[in-house]
Amino acid sequence: MPAAYFLPRAELDRLFEALAVDGRRIIGPTIADGAVVYDELDSPAGLPHGWMADTAPGSYRLRSTGGERAFDYVVALTSWKRFTHPSLVPLTRSRRDGDQIVVEPIREDAPKLAFVGVRACELAALNIQERAMRAGPAGDPDHAARRDAALIVAVECAAATSTCFCTSMASGPEVDGGADLMLSELDDGFVVRVGSEAGAGVVGPLGLRVASPDAVDRAGTQVAAVRAAIGDPVPGDGLPERLRAALDHPHWAQVAERCLACANCTLVCPTCFCTSVGVASDLDGLDATTERSWDSCFSLGFGRVAGDANFRPKVRDRYRQWLTHKFSTWWDQFGSSGCVGCGRCIAWCPVGIDVRAELVAIAPATAPAGPIPWPLSPAEGRAPAALATAAPARHVIATVRSVMPETVDSATLRLVTTDEALLGARPGQFVMVEQPAFATPPISISRIRPDGLDLTIRSAGAATAVLTGLAAGAQVALRGPLGRGWPVEAAIGRDVVIVAGGIGLAPLRPVIEAVLAERPRFGAVRLYLGARTPHDRLFVAEMGEIAGRADVEVAEIVDRAGPEWLGRVGIVTQLFDQAKWDGSRATAFVCGPERMMQATVATLKGRGVDPAAMWLTLERNMACGVGTCGHCQLGPFFVCRDGPVFSVAELGTAFAREGL
Amino acid sequence: METEDLASVLDATWFAADLAPQARGRLAALGRLEEVADGAIVVQEGTLCESLGVVVSGRIALRLSLPGGEDRTIITVHPGDIFGWSAILPQRIATASAVAVMPTTAVMFDGAELKRALAGDADLAAAIYERLLVSVARRLTATRTQLLDLYRPGNEPW
Repeated sequence: MPAAYFLPRAELDRLFEALAVDGRRIIGPTIADGAVVYDELDSPAGLPHGWMADTAPGSYRLRSTGGERAFDYVVALTSWKRFTHPSLVPLTRSRRDGDQIVVEPIREDAPKLAFVGVRACELAALNIQERAMRAGPAGDPDHAARRDAALIVAVECAAATSTCFCTSMASGPEVDGGADLMLSELDDGFVVRVGSEAGAGVVGPLGLRVASPDAVDRAGTQVAAVRAAIGDPVPGDGLPERLRAALDHPHWAQVAERCLACANCTLVCPTCFCTSVGVASDLDGLDATTERSWDSCFSLGFGRVAGDANFRPKVRDRYRQWLTHKFSTWWDQFGSSGCVGCGRCIAWCPVGIDVRAELVAIAPATAPAGPIPWPLSPAEGRAPAALATAAPARHVIATVRSVMPETVDSATLRLVTTDEALLGARPGQFVMVEQPAFATPPISISRIRPDGLDLTIRSAGAATAVLTGLAAGAQVALRGPLGRGWPVEAAIGRDVVIVAGGIGLAPLRPVIEAVLAERPRFGAVRLYLGARTPHDRLFVAEMGEIAGRADVEVAEIVDRAGPEWLGRVGIVTQLFDQAKWDGSRATAFVCGPERMMQATVATLKGRGVDPAAMWLTLERNMACGVGTCGHCQLGPFFVCRDGPVFSVAELGTAFAREGL
Repeated sequence: METEDLASVLDATWFAADLAPQARGRLAALGRLEEVADGAIVVQEGTLCESLGVVVSGRIALRLSLPGGEDRTIITVHPGDIFGWSAILPQRIATASAVAVMPTTAVMFDGAELKRALAGDADLAAAIYERLLVSVARRLTATRTQLLDLYRPGNEPW
């Protein structure tokens, strides 16, 4: 096969016809509402012949070139993710009939599309998004199907605009592969290179002549000129490390004064993949559909959790999250930059924030690269939980055998299931619990039984109110088990310290049961329990029984109490901050509100417990449970996928850092 | 109890542990070991606070009375920790009641006598006031955390 063919300009319609066989629809650039967008094309006539886009921070203007070229516009307003990762995707359809529920995944056939005009940076973006959504531990079947059904016709850039910086991100402007067909547009036609069998199948029947050396040279000269014009505006060497070291840089606050948090940048970004899941239901709530829609880390509610607590309440926090994810923690998670330098976020920012300038201000090439706030890359040091058995849309219907009230607003659901994956859950894992017409909360497993699971749930919102109000015989739909659990095995041969705050005892109960089941294999076992009031204590009888054992030390304390309470009053750390035991031999398991865990970690360190032997479970907005929605990101981690159990050493200074 | 015995009792508490032997002996000479019956009120809120105590065993609840006559336990004092520090403050008025919620043993120090001893012994004062400061700071930290009401509904994981 020759290195390149030549397609005369006048014969571009033949390529379109060849692409359109078997009902394949062609998506390409066209002009709409004063901008170049990607939309369906019937013929090359719809291409933006003779138009160029002049862009600058906060500015996009089409300009006529007076020529005939179709691909001088550089990049379109919209990106290809609109077709590979649509803004709205139905996920499940659920139905309630009395106690019975049915949850079915919705699978739409992926349309056969040909993307014409994909730039080098956009090709990189498609691959980056694929790594995030397809090569991850769970995989997104909708995205995979759409990518598989798409035929890519790349077009090398013949011009650059002032917002381009693909050269700094090593994503362009040359197209070096990765597409089915690769075109370079010249005045008289196109140099066509074939990148796949599918591409060869398209151009083969066209009987194109081999491209002349002159045409190939002109194409090379053209793209080289683009590279020279762009230069290297953002020195990339060491950028991820420099950004990590700049988490407290004062410039974040300066950017926040200009940023409107409008999310334009993430909407036009070709790699941003964050989503939320909404529920649409009939008025009677019996039939419902869940839908995934684009969301943005700039949204105020993106980091919000139960009780209206928000981990990123300030614009400064959200801008830092976006920028550090794109240029730093993306490397930890997916092995590449999350930015391809297309410049859309610069041009379409209504206040003209230029990410290149912000990077240079916050993490200049001369800045030191350390210290790195988190010491371990999840890709290097730890395996995510076994998610192969828990694909995003895999639901298991479980039946409520009984409901045990625990406190005035919490209850334990005893669920029966025969699902092997659920019965194989490990202490510390959680499940997503779906009910028709309600949001799907993550609920930790409070007991793993041979015939099912216990879920201890506090009524904190509409969905959990429904769950705690279920009666025996009702059904729920579960996805899971999800997340990485407690490493109980790491405590074998060592002392065990368990510190629980409030309903944080629920995910710790399986640890307690696992340790007591093999009590001789562990050293001293100490259990410290905190609660709001005496009435808010969980598993009272059970903990009382454990306290009666001679081989376990149990102490509890409440925040507030009336005179009828003769137990301890204060904070949970007072139970052991003056203790005499040697923490260097201990493995600790901690769960509770983050501020309580912060105090506990400080106290445990004071007792000599190694941060690598201190395990805690974090709360974040775990909306999907499998690391694809982006809500629960914390530094290099997706809490749902890489945690929620982490060691303090793994988290480094990401733990309890404001706004992260 | 002999001073030497009381010194060894104090040595087992974090408050007095690691004191120089001479300082601990001096402190022990000022204290007396008391048994407090379950339910006994050791200090009454709003009255003259005469003694500072170090809990050796048992549990003391510090309570505030609320309008309507109900008491609220603010914090409990456990072995090793102190109560009744108002006894060595200028006004000596107890800001909370101290109630034994189980049979309790405490080393009690007369506030006026302790103050005089500290005024006359700079080394002892430096050691004791530092421990008092640690105790106050620890309790302040606890109070701040309690004020945050971390476990209130909707503010907890899961």
